[in-house]
Amino acid sequence: MTRLLGPERQRLVFALAGALIVLNVVSFTFGQPPLATLTRMWQGTWGTPYGIGQVLFKATPLLFTGVAFGVAFRAGLFNIGAEGQLALASLVAGLAAARLGGVLPSPIAIPLVVLLALLVGASYAAFAGAMRARLGIHEIITSIMLNRIADVVLPWALAMGLSTDGVRTRTIDDAVRLVSLERFVPALRGSAASVAFPMAVAVAFTVNAWSRRSRAGRELEWIGQAASVCEAQGVDVARRRQQAMALSGAIAGLTCLGTVLGYKGYYELGLGAGAGFSGIAVAMLGRGGPVQLTLAALLFGTLAQAGLAINARVPRDAMGVIEAVVIVLMAAAAHASARQGASPSKPSPAEVQT
Amino acid sequence: MAEAIEPRIELIGASRRFGERTAVKALDLTLEPGRIHALIGENGAGKSTALKLVAGLLAPSDGEVLVGGTRLDEASPRAAMARGIGMVHQHFMLVEPFTALENLILGAEPVRESPLSRLPFVGALFGGGRLDLDAARREAERLAAEAGLSVRLDARVSELSVGEKQRLEILRVLFRGAKAILLDEPTAVLSPLEVGELYATLRRLASRGDTVAVVTHRLDEVVRFADDVTVMRHGEKVHAEVLDGDARAHEEATIRRLTRAVMGGDVPDATARRPIAEDAPVVLELTDARVDGTGSRGLAGVSLRLRAGEIVGVAGIEGNGQRELVTALAGVAPLVAGRVALDGAPLFTSHGDAPSRVREARRRGLVAVLDDRHHDELVLDATVADNLVLGDLGLAMPGAAVDADEAALSSRRFERFAVEPRDPSRLGRELSGGNQQKVVMARALDRSIRALVLGQPTRGVDVGTARVIHEAVAEVAARGAAVLVVSADLSELRTLSHRIVVLSEGKLVADLPPTATDEALGRAMLGAYTEAPGGSR
Repeated sequence: MTRLLGPERQRLVFALAGALIVLNVVSFTFGQPPLATLTRMWQGTWGTPYGIGQVLFKATPLLFTGVAFGVAFRAGLFNIGAEGQLALASLVAGLAAARLGGVLPSPIAIPLVVLLALLVGASYAAFAGAMRARLGIHEIITSIMLNRIADVVLPWALAMGLSTDGVRTRTIDDAVRLVSLERFVPALRGSAASVAFPMAVAVAFTVNAWSRRSRAGRELEWIGQAASVCEAQGVDVARRRQQAMALSGAIAGLTCLGTVLGYKGYYELGLGAGAGFSGIAVAMLGRGGPVQLTLAALLFGTLAQAGLAINARVPRDAMGVIEAVVIVLMAAAAHASARQGASPSKPSPAEVQT
Repeated sequence: MAEAIEPRIELIGASRRFGERTAVKALDLTLEPGRIHALIGENGAGKSTALKLVAGLLAPSDGEVLVGGTRLDEASPRAAMARGIGMVHQHFMLVEPFTALENLILGAEPVRESPLSRLPFVGALFGGGRLDLDAARREAERLAAEAGLSVRLDARVSELSVGEKQRLEILRVLFRGAKAILLDEPTAVLSPLEVGELYATLRRLASRGDTVAVVTHRLDEVVRFADDVTVMRHGEKVHAEVLDGDARAHEEATIRRLTRAVMGGDVPDATARRPIAEDAPVVLELTDARVDGTGSRGLAGVSLRLRAGEIVGVAGIEGNGQRELVTALAGVAPLVAGRVALDGAPLFTSHGDAPSRVREARRRGLVAVLDDRHHDELVLDATVADNLVLGDLGLAMPGAAVDADEAALSSRRFERFAVEPRDPSRLGRELSGGNQQKVVMARALDRSIRALVLGQPTRGVDVGTARVIHEAVAEVAARGAAVLVVSADLSELRTLSHRIVVLSEGKLVADLPPTATDEALGRAMLGAYTEAPGGSR
């Protein structure tokens, strides 16, 4: 078994087994037979074509935010601000799409809207990046605070006339919306999955290739591993960090593809909320590469959709518990395998002697 | 002494494999109590692994380790300590914000029994008693006096000099009751005076019956201070001898013999430095350069002129401004006052940040290698191939493709000093210290050079590679570059330099020919030399 499965997969199996046990306990607590709950979860997710479509739909924003967090993380930065970045980008995308519908043909309008979302997400994150690079203020603090600012600014902006009714923007013309996946796979009919999911997967692969092959991507990884070395070797650490932060924000901004353009057709308060933080877990779980990242997004998407499926009998919050259990167990298993792998032949990193 | 732990340690046919690689092959080695045993060999010859087998930090894949005649079963620091074996690692393992005394007792805290501590549960809660700092201090002072170690027990580790940190490490091992002390390259970071003091301490420990083993690259100190020497090559013992009075009396011959054993054959003579042309122009000029120190006085006004083809050595006790001198010339640290000029034109005039200064220096042909490999030169978690091109990827726009020439650049540098293991996809941290330094030097020497500044260029590098590096440096100078070498190794400075300047408290206090004696250099290092320093001659 240990030969067959890499450490990553062993961890996953371990975490899922733990989650299953907790699920049983939770199910019992609410007076539901665990098997029935499990069956219901299965049918609501991978058991039916509609369920699969819903899982893909739920996984889409998580994959975008997972990639976004991962890009910054490789450079040693913590972009905790995807939440605010995706909210602002979604609002702007919603407004722009509503305005452009019928004005421009969709092959021009859609890329334009996407570009705007990228720019808004990037600039909001770049602010946190600049604070870090120029003033040394840690990006965790600034990006969290920027989330709070977005929380306040968005309702105000909507109330000040950007919305039709104070909570949502005007509905987007069909021509500017993303095509639903059921156009290609009829079985998925009724589900909210759109081409945004394959786009997210493509983004995950592209960003991964960029990280490993491009100069900027590789230098960013080295900066994440040893910033002092990069500084001494003439790598422009501050500039690269700003770039990483902006890229991270831009990808977070793409989340609106799945929500605004691919599903709702407008922006409303709270659309996509939570994806920013769940993306962190997705990124940590899927650290190995784009395939792992996609699987991690699907896992969390499955959990979210399963929560909806059992909502009538067991509170949906139970799935929040399960999600937390998966994260905690994964972290514990990662720690255990790291300890196992540590050999006494390697001295711990040398203390810096100056 | 009757029931004390018998610290004779034997390796019998001990091998150690790491995956495919065999680091130590069927090694027989006996460390006798009361003697200083030196373990020498090239980088990657298996010395450090052998030492870790002896220390019980690694378990042998084959063969066995006997301590006092009984087999060592478990390989862990705790088990080794229980058997009276202590190791002083090459990189210090100290908690910087703690005081020396706190570091000393960490993990071996002496406690005063109290009635509470005898109770079940409550006793465990109180850790079996109250911390007895006074007892710890008394014990530490006793041990320090006995071994002739001077350590300021109440100073924070971050305030200690390198030599002091090492003495603290030794004291810590003694504090845990070790009767066998193993040191991995202890002298790499020490000044000549400190080296003498270290061996005096080790001799004192040996003469009271302790077992002492030292891994080192410096053959002169082996001949001067060790009793037994074992030479390793490719994981095997290739030579062993007892260093008696005769061997010491013929130091030169002994060193030649050991060098041949280390290298596995004859080696070319040490670098013959080339004479400097009469009319050689000044290439690198420092005028009253001042740099803020990190934990020391820094550079307090240094003026120095290096001519084309000239190699100038910088000697001094660690922490007297050497690092600041090198980091400032590299562009990493800013000058707070003074000027640096290269080929007559000023350098570092714009108020840029560190990376832009570094790039400016490199563009103009001022190439520097900093002394702290892990902090400044190598990304340990990146591959060797990546490290070989680090800093040379340029400032392409994000997303630009990998240079087509990069692979060629990387492999050319990889071959320059024959980095081991022969696999550029290994991570930096998988290499021995000497091979890491080969990577660093290969990268630096491959650039276009007008002036070369080297901080400890062969620290932790074996004799053979050190000579190759010295030869390459001499060649750079012969092609008309100016070279500044900062080193704690006086024989290295003598081999390379046309003249040796001495830094003391951030100032140049002497300017001596390479033939200057240890004593003259040592006096200058302590600031006792009174001759006014000159510029270029």
